[in-house]
Amino acid sequence: MFEARLVQGALWKKVIDAIKDLLTEAKWDCNSTGITLQAMDSSHVSLVSLNLRAEGFDTFRCDRNLSMGINLSSMSKILKCAGNDDVITIKTADDADTVTFVFESQNNEKVSDYEIRLLDLDTEHLGIPETEYSCVVKLPAGEFQRICRDLSQIGESVVITCTKEGVQFSASGDLGTGNIKLAQNASADKEEEAVVIEMNQAVTLTFALRYLNFFTKATPISNQVTLSMSQDVPLVVEYKVADMGYLRYYLAPKMEDQDD
Amino acid sequence: MDMKRSFGKGVTGNRNGPPNKKTRVQDEEEDPSAFEEELALMDEVENELAGDDVEMLDCMGSGPAYVSTSSKWSRPPVPPLNPKLDRIVFQQIDVDHYTGRHMPGMPGSTVGPVPIIRMFGVTMEGNSVLAHVHGFAPYFFVPAQPGFKEEHLGTFKDALNNTVLKDMRSNKEGINQTVLAVEMVSKESIYGYHSNRKVPFLKISMAIPRLIAPAKRLLEQGFQCPGYSQHGFQTYETNIDFEIRFMVDSDVVGCNWIEVPPGKYNLRDKENLSPNDPKHPPQKSRCQIEIDVSWEDFISHNPEGEWSKVAPFRILSFDIECAGRKGVFPEPDKDPVIQIANMVVKQGKTEPFIRNVFTLNTCAPVIGSQIHSFHKEDELLAKWAAFICEVDPDIITGYNIQNFDLPYLLNRAKHLKVKNFVYLGRIIDTISVLKEQTFQSRQMGKRENKVINIEGRVQFDLLQILFRDYKLRSYTLNAVSYHFLQEQKEDVQHSIITDLQNGNDQTRRRLAVYCMKDAILPLRLLDKLMCVINYMEMARVTGVPLTYLLSRGQQIKVVSQLLRKAKEQDLVIPSHKVDPGEEYEGATVIEPVKGYYDVPIATLDFASLYPSIMMAHNLCYTTLLNTSIIQKEGLTQDQYIKTPSGDYFVKASQRKGLLPEILEHLLSARKKAKTDLKNEIDPFKKKVLDGRQLALKISANSVYGFTGAQVGKLPCLEISQSVTAFGRMMIEQTKNHVEERYTVENGYRYNAKVIYGDTDSVMVKFGEEKIQETMKLGHEAAEYISSKFVDPIKLEFEKVYFPYLLINKKRYAGLFWTNPQKYDKMDCKGIETVRRDNCRLVANLINTCLQLLLIDRNPNGAVEHAKQTISDLLCNRVDISNLVITKELTKTDGEYAGKQAHVELAHRIRKRDPGSAPQLGDRVPYIIIAAPKGTAAYMKSEDPIFVLENNIPIDTQYYLENQLSKPLLRIFEPILGEKKAESILLKGEHTRTKTVTTSKIGGLMAFAKKRSNCVGCKSVLDREGIAVCKHCQTKESEIYQKEVSHLQSLEEKFSRLWTQCQRCTGSLHEDVLCTSRDCPIFYMRKKVQKDLGDQDKLLERFGPPSW
Repeated sequence: MFEARLVQGALWKKVIDAIKDLLTEAKWDCNSTGITLQAMDSSHVSLVSLNLRAEGFDTFRCDRNLSMGINLSSMSKILKCAGNDDVITIKTADDADTVTFVFESQNNEKVSDYEIRLLDLDTEHLGIPETEYSCVVKLPAGEFQRICRDLSQIGESVVITCTKEGVQFSASGDLGTGNIKLAQNASADKEEEAVVIEMNQAVTLTFALRYLNFFTKATPISNQVTLSMSQDVPLVVEYKVADMGYLRYYLAPKMEDQDD
Repeated sequence: MDMKRSFGKGVTGNRNGPPNKKTRVQDEEEDPSAFEEELALMDEVENELAGDDVEMLDCMGSGPAYVSTSSKWSRPPVPPLNPKLDRIVFQQIDVDHYTGRHMPGMPGSTVGPVPIIRMFGVTMEGNSVLAHVHGFAPYFFVPAQPGFKEEHLGTFKDALNNTVLKDMRSNKEGINQTVLAVEMVSKESIYGYHSNRKVPFLKISMAIPRLIAPAKRLLEQGFQCPGYSQHGFQTYETNIDFEIRFMVDSDVVGCNWIEVPPGKYNLRDKENLSPNDPKHPPQKSRCQIEIDVSWEDFISHNPEGEWSKVAPFRILSFDIECAGRKGVFPEPDKDPVIQIANMVVKQGKTEPFIRNVFTLNTCAPVIGSQIHSFHKEDELLAKWAAFICEVDPDIITGYNIQNFDLPYLLNRAKHLKVKNFVYLGRIIDTISVLKEQTFQSRQMGKRENKVINIEGRVQFDLLQILFRDYKLRSYTLNAVSYHFLQEQKEDVQHSIITDLQNGNDQTRRRLAVYCMKDAILPLRLLDKLMCVINYMEMARVTGVPLTYLLSRGQQIKVVSQLLRKAKEQDLVIPSHKVDPGEEYEGATVIEPVKGYYDVPIATLDFASLYPSIMMAHNLCYTTLLNTSIIQKEGLTQDQYIKTPSGDYFVKASQRKGLLPEILEHLLSARKKAKTDLKNEIDPFKKKVLDGRQLALKISANSVYGFTGAQVGKLPCLEISQSVTAFGRMMIEQTKNHVEERYTVENGYRYNAKVIYGDTDSVMVKFGEEKIQETMKLGHEAAEYISSKFVDPIKLEFEKVYFPYLLINKKRYAGLFWTNPQKYDKMDCKGIETVRRDNCRLVANLINTCLQLLLIDRNPNGAVEHAKQTISDLLCNRVDISNLVITKELTKTDGEYAGKQAHVELAHRIRKRDPGSAPQLGDRVPYIIIAAPKGTAAYMKSEDPIFVLENNIPIDTQYYLENQLSKPLLRIFEPILGEKKAESILLKGEHTRTKTVTTSKIGGLMAFAKKRSNCVGCKSVLDREGIAVCKHCQTKESEIYQKEVSHLQSLEEKFSRLWTQCQRCTGSLHEDVLCTSRDCPIFYMRKKVQKDLGDQDKLLERFGPPSW
């Protein structure tokens, strides 16, 4: 028996919206410590890693380890049926081939439940080892989303240069070039507007904007986003999920000789 | 001297003696290859027959004249000929003409240049013959000006002559008489009904064919004959090829037998014995017998009875190999020709009597064939050209020789300045040159071809024939041989060829065997498909030279027949100006009542519908009327008919049409050929007769097409639209007759219903459950309805479909019964099983489902099978060769308007490895791979081998939705119902299990760590280097054994596949190089190879076995 109840049901909606464009289906691994999801997109350029700890849920019960294969577009369709203020409970029996979503309205006047069929997915378990990064940049999530969207008007890839002074995003294309500089601004009035850079070594890396734009779909989850970078290793884009865990994206850097 | 040695090798190769075939089969270890064995066997058989070894001479003739150096190569010697007593009989195979001088004693113009017809052929004894036919002059007709008097013919001639002369820009040949004669003749135009009145025409004979065009232009522009007013003449028969004109007038048809009686010809001598005698010029060709004859003096035999035989033509098939550089398609000015394999067969024999290969550098002997090694490439080419001249083939074939082999050889020889290479034809002083030509026809679309003139030899490129006659998924020689012969060959990439050439004499031997196989396969295919016989019969039936059938469109065949008939009736054909007109309504289709029919469905067909309509209603150019003619001639209602399209034609009582007559002739000839076929016992003659009846059928049907071809020589919309209108009407009438008569009221058990009808057939559901009963009703209905139509229109009952699945217009499937005991076959029309633009998975799945549905009558089984296949697809269990889609690369990148998958892929492969990139005209194989959302479909194509090697995930969803779903739903909807089919097949339980493969490439793969799973329970392991988790530790040895046995099964599978490939390659002690993209075995072998590697790694995790 697996059951997880979350009062702020809207969080589920945000999480699904953040990954459904990158993955078509995924395995949700559940155990007593929480729910994790780890999967690469089909072209093996990026990886999504989601971790929701058990204590973040209002009630959480998982009798034995199980992994649920779910088609994410189906899941998104179901979650659209939930109101923003609804309490969402996800549950399944141990050997069932379906998963049930229960939506309760705030005032307990309305309870709806939806069931979707599970998929049996046979995949390999891949992960990126944790390492120390040369640069860790923390910036407002909305700002990052804006940067990625704006620069994708100019070109297909963005060059991120991180120095002590600040971080620069630049793109160039047929119509010209674009540069956005953010200065370190740890002492901002509001915490969510701060730009904080921790660095050991300056880095310059190139990434495909196409994927970054997929990642920034997670913006509603958190006010701040963290970019961790080292030379020639994948970028980590992390959104904290309040009190529960994180949603991380890994993206391979573009090599110089690659043209697309 | 090298030559001598290598000849010796070829022969002494027999020293070991070809081993007994039976012992070989048992002992496969020693088996060199099936193909080599075949070669050896051919040698054995031959030696038994001949009794003695063939002697090879030291040198080959290198002069351009015909030289005989080896009794095996050259033609049999000519028996002594006495022109006064001996007749010469030969089958002509090619007709052309040249411009020469008048020969004394021959008819025709005596001054200036004259056209001379050349007929090449072979006698029954196998001697080659060239006949120069003198005295035939080209001509055309114009209607005489009103009031033109016969005594002014001379004036007309001189005036026209002067006008044409003045018009000529240059006059190199020194023509001073362009117009030879003008005669007054009584003729009638073929176009329209003229109450059978002939009117005076002028027959204008010109000096040479080239002059017809200016004469025509000048006459049409307006020409003034002294004493008459200026007049724009309409010209007749100006656009007739000179050869056709000659053949029509002398009753010669393509490939028929020509007899030259004794005393009527002059035999030419090899050397110029009498240089001053213009009647005895020396031989101009490499033919054994060369004669001069007047066009009035030879006898042309109709290809009937005794004269339907076929002479022992020599058919040469060859193939070349070039040593290309890596990454570039061979270019004749850089890459050498390293081998040329030749196979020569006599028409009517199955095995070639000459089997050899010309190699650059040494080559180990191959039993059953001769190897001629050369140190220098120019020597090789020169000797090959000499070989051609000596073998003197009548037909040259091969695979894509027209656009690759021959042009390459010519360009290469030119580059190396090889002397005498260009003299490949039979005419001594004519060189073969390369030209580019664009050919366009409805049948084949637009194609760019290279054309090489080889006088007297017919180039019969098998690839061109296949393009013309067959629609195939792939046109590689390998795919084609597999399709028709179930025989595979090794497909060696051209980059490997260079490596083999640079190896030792054994690797070159390997190449030689490969090359010879490529040369023999076209011969086998020609034999199997009976191309030569069928084309020859087509030439005989339609009366055009053999070469025309390959190089020209359909129309020339009808023109030739029309001319022959028109000549008999003093009709002349106007020269039509090309002017594309309006379209007309085509055939009708009765709206299908879609569904799955579990009762027998009878099919009623009109036999030769369009020809019989034309015959029944006397539709022809000569019977065409319009309202003004009807009034002028005062025709009464019963003398003409009005067709359903509103056109008028006179009835046969007034004038019998020419086209109906041609058709009657063709159809009665076909009937005769069919009866002869039944009575004939000789298998070779049977083939000839079968080829003929087929040719006759095709010809009869092409007559209608000719009248409808707007860009044709003589289109007549009134005829073609009347024909289709009659056809439509008859289909409707048949439907009504059937449904009126076969009703319960009339005492039948059920009401019959016409469920579908198309062009010339209707499908009737009589309602009876028994096939026997349905057949009885079918026969009865056919007879009853035939009686309602004008003779010779006949409705035939041929077959019953039971069960029958009617999907849509022109899409149906059913079991085909012609007798009630056993079904004949499963017949599918317009269903994916026969289409080429999808992957093989679709064709196989649909085919199996149809078989389960129709033959086994097991709809549940069919559904289960479809589900299983879909599940296999999603779990990545489908063999990759089944997912390959191929498309032809027809244009260069820039020319494609939209981006297309195969073009993009070709582009990407070119970047990766330019050598293996597809060339223009290749069919590009590709796989659709998974890609992020929103990626355009054309970017998702990938090379199958690349996919296989890198384990790239396949876009299974694409295959399910874009390839499988539509065809599957089409066949299952009539059975399961529309909504249900989709939810059962595409959304069911079986679609919920998926395997996601992990690619070896992709940006993140370099960084990602694969966490090992426990071999036993698949849970993620805490540390690396171990095989099982702690829960499974107890079962470790059991798991280990299971994995070892899996490894063994993979090893066994691989060994089998490898052996299969070795057999196909024909060698057991050499590596298999084949990378044939058409071969499912190749993909399987690659896949197992990879799986084997993975499995091996997995076993290593258990650590070294220890006790």
